[in-house]
Amino acid sequence: MEKKIIFGNREAISLLLIFMCNQLFLSFPRNMAESAGNAGWILTIYITVISLVLFLIISRLYKNFEGKDILDVAEFLGGNIGRILVGIIYVIDYVVIISVILREYGEDLKIISLVQSPISFVLALFAIGMVFGAFFGLEPLVRLGAISVPVIFLGFLITVVGSIKYFNFSNILPIFGTGLVEILIEGPSRTSVFSGLTSLFLIAPFLRSHDNFKKSGFIGLILSGLILTVGNLVYSLVLPYPSTTSNFLPIYQLSRLIEYGRFFQRIESIFVLVWSMTALIYLSAGLFFSAYIYKKTFKLEYHRPLIIPFGIIIFTLSLIPKSLMETMFIDNSIIRKYAWTVTFGLTLVLLILASIKIKVKEGRHKDEK
Amino acid sequence: MKNKIRKFCILLSIFIICQFTSGCYDSREIDELAYPIAIGFDKGEGKFLRMSLQIAVPTKVAGGGEGGGGGEGGQSSVSITTLETPTIYSGLNMINTYVSKQINLSHVKAIVFSEELAREGIEKYINALMRGREFRGTAYVLVAKGSGNTAEKFIREVKPELESNPAKYYEMVLNAYGYTGFTAEAKLISFYRNMTSYTTQPVAVLANVSEFEDSDDITLEYSTYKQKGRDYPLPGDYTAGNMPKVGDIKTEVMGMAVFDGARMVGELDGEETSYYLMVEGKYGYSYVTIPDPQAKDMFVLLNLKQSRKPKKRVEMVGDKPQIYIDIKLEADILSIQSGINYESIEKIGILEKATEEFVKTGIERMVKRTVEEFGSDTFGIGESIKKKFLTWDQWVAFNWKEKYRHSNINVNVDVKIRRPGQKIKTVPAHGSEKEEK
Repeated sequence: MEKKIIFGNREAISLLLIFMCNQLFLSFPRNMAESAGNAGWILTIYITVISLVLFLIISRLYKNFEGKDILDVAEFLGGNIGRILVGIIYVIDYVVIISVILREYGEDLKIISLVQSPISFVLALFAIGMVFGAFFGLEPLVRLGAISVPVIFLGFLITVVGSIKYFNFSNILPIFGTGLVEILIEGPSRTSVFSGLTSLFLIAPFLRSHDNFKKSGFIGLILSGLILTVGNLVYSLVLPYPSTTSNFLPIYQLSRLIEYGRFFQRIESIFVLVWSMTALIYLSAGLFFSAYIYKKTFKLEYHRPLIIPFGIIIFTLSLIPKSLMETMFIDNSIIRKYAWTVTFGLTLVLLILASIKIKVKEGRHKDEK
Repeated sequence: MKNKIRKFCILLSIFIICQFTSGCYDSREIDELAYPIAIGFDKGEGKFLRMSLQIAVPTKVAGGGEGGGGGEGGQSSVSITTLETPTIYSGLNMINTYVSKQINLSHVKAIVFSEELAREGIEKYINALMRGREFRGTAYVLVAKGSGNTAEKFIREVKPELESNPAKYYEMVLNAYGYTGFTAEAKLISFYRNMTSYTTQPVAVLANVSEFEDSDDITLEYSTYKQKGRDYPLPGDYTAGNMPKVGDIKTEVMGMAVFDGARMVGELDGEETSYYLMVEGKYGYSYVTIPDPQAKDMFVLLNLKQSRKPKKRVEMVGDKPQIYIDIKLEADILSIQSGINYESIEKIGILEKATEEFVKTGIERMVKRTVEEFGSDTFGIGESIKKKFLTWDQWVAFNWKEKYRHSNINVNVDVKIRRPGQKIKTVPAHGSEKEEK
């Protein structure tokens, strides 16, 4: 049924931007400061370049599998076992990431405004929104994403422009922060920041052609890298290292500083709106993909009946970390360090093996002829 | 029938959503909250803290013009409470037991520390304020001069005469540095930023209650002019509390407190604060009194403004930093007491040179104090040498703070007098010699 859905590059890019840039509104700039000091923005550029190179290789290999998603490729390579194995890995990847991010959004809201509300109540509000969003399906979500991204970007732009008066360019010096070696070593694992790219491998059948796949991924990565770099740079320009490592919601802190005269102040209300829109679309799409992958993995007919069970699983998992500190540890030290193994590692291995299989098959055909 | 059920379901959903979203655990009505606009911290008994809250009384603020903040007989637009507490937030809890409304700190404009507390170090308080979600980084940090409970004393004496809204009073008074040059822009966020910085050190606005009750009490003995080798005080030669003035407004903000990390190590008077602003590049404009270069005991009054951002650079000669500061100023003439025609092309250079020398001497004296007396780089001069390092570890190992204490200072000031005011030259009064005397 989903295969009838077709959407354009703009929708795909918007979806990728939401999947990859939502971390900017969470603790991404702080994590980069932890890794590279005041050179967090250089680390961001570096991981963007690595991810682009990896994506170009993936895209080249994907040429042989136009109209197929990553599960179809796994099935081609390893039959039902291959599909189920990759499907389960993808489902676990999505469910774990979405549940951690759900908890982070909930904790953020609790710290920002709903101080007295129990975390389960706050998470339940998010989870209900997420379930409703996922019920509507992929098409409304990507269309909503395409409409929302410019609004979200405008909110981000207001925060950036409003912070200009606090810029101090010496904050980004010494230029290599904690050291070039640390940046070079840390870089490859930090490509996990772009783990949202997996969504592109799932929507490949809806993108008409391989060119659209390549274009969407390439532009999505460049724009995400640009936005993440600018966000990091702005944060580093406003606050000096090592105080950049102390704020757990960096961009929110920036929005709280904006004040132009007696009239233009307390801009964080715009931030909360932007932040909620991002959370809704991101979590809904994440839940949708979890159910969709599961459906496809086990060749079920419908994905909708899976949404509520998956919603409950994600909601329950999100309550497992004992504290915000534990949630942030899982996000920063586990997910954002090892998610690349699925996003780039697994995908590359699958595509390389599948390409070899094609070559072998073609060879056999020629021999038979 | 199906349509009716659908409509009913939609209405029911809207009703349920309204119930859930209109008031959850965190619902608080605005008229159930009390908004402090200033908060003061003094040393309490033992390890305790004495905390004072100046809470806005909305009904009086809204009324406007009824005696401002200082009106007698229940006319005050603020209510002040002081208590002993182990920590800031436990103190707020205690206040909530006897104030009818719940305290909300999101409108705090001024955070006042007593000098005693500031000299001991205020890191733990600043960290607590920055951690709290209600405090805003845009609130000003002040140090109330003197010994004892100076923060409480200051807050109790804040009675704005011209402003019924006490929050606006703080905003306007503390932003006045843009046209007086006598206080600094010392916001909570910049204090926190500089407190943790490896280059710049924080500053706070100096505040105090006037020393003088009656005009007969006025004396110049507290002025800093003698330390500067002058025979008479100029307008900036005071710190808060010492200004030779009396009146209904008892509170004063003038000068700034200099910190090393989070510990106060000294203070600068109003004039030195102007120079600090010039070196920082935040000097707006102000009226500056210069001794007349050609007439003894006469003054020239200029409206001085910063025309360009200052240039600061550091060169290392051996292990000693050589600091170079380049300041560019513009001025308009406001008054020439001697009547000497400095407006003329021939003489304008004399006045420019005298102004340059006056400002240069002042800046050198002030920077020298921060180097030798305070050992605190309040201007962030170290930022200009950071670029010579590639990594953070190299920069930290360089130990700029220690190096700064052995710096040599070279200041260059360039003043251009642009306009003579509404008169192009001074025409002397025409009368008998007796009348002139």
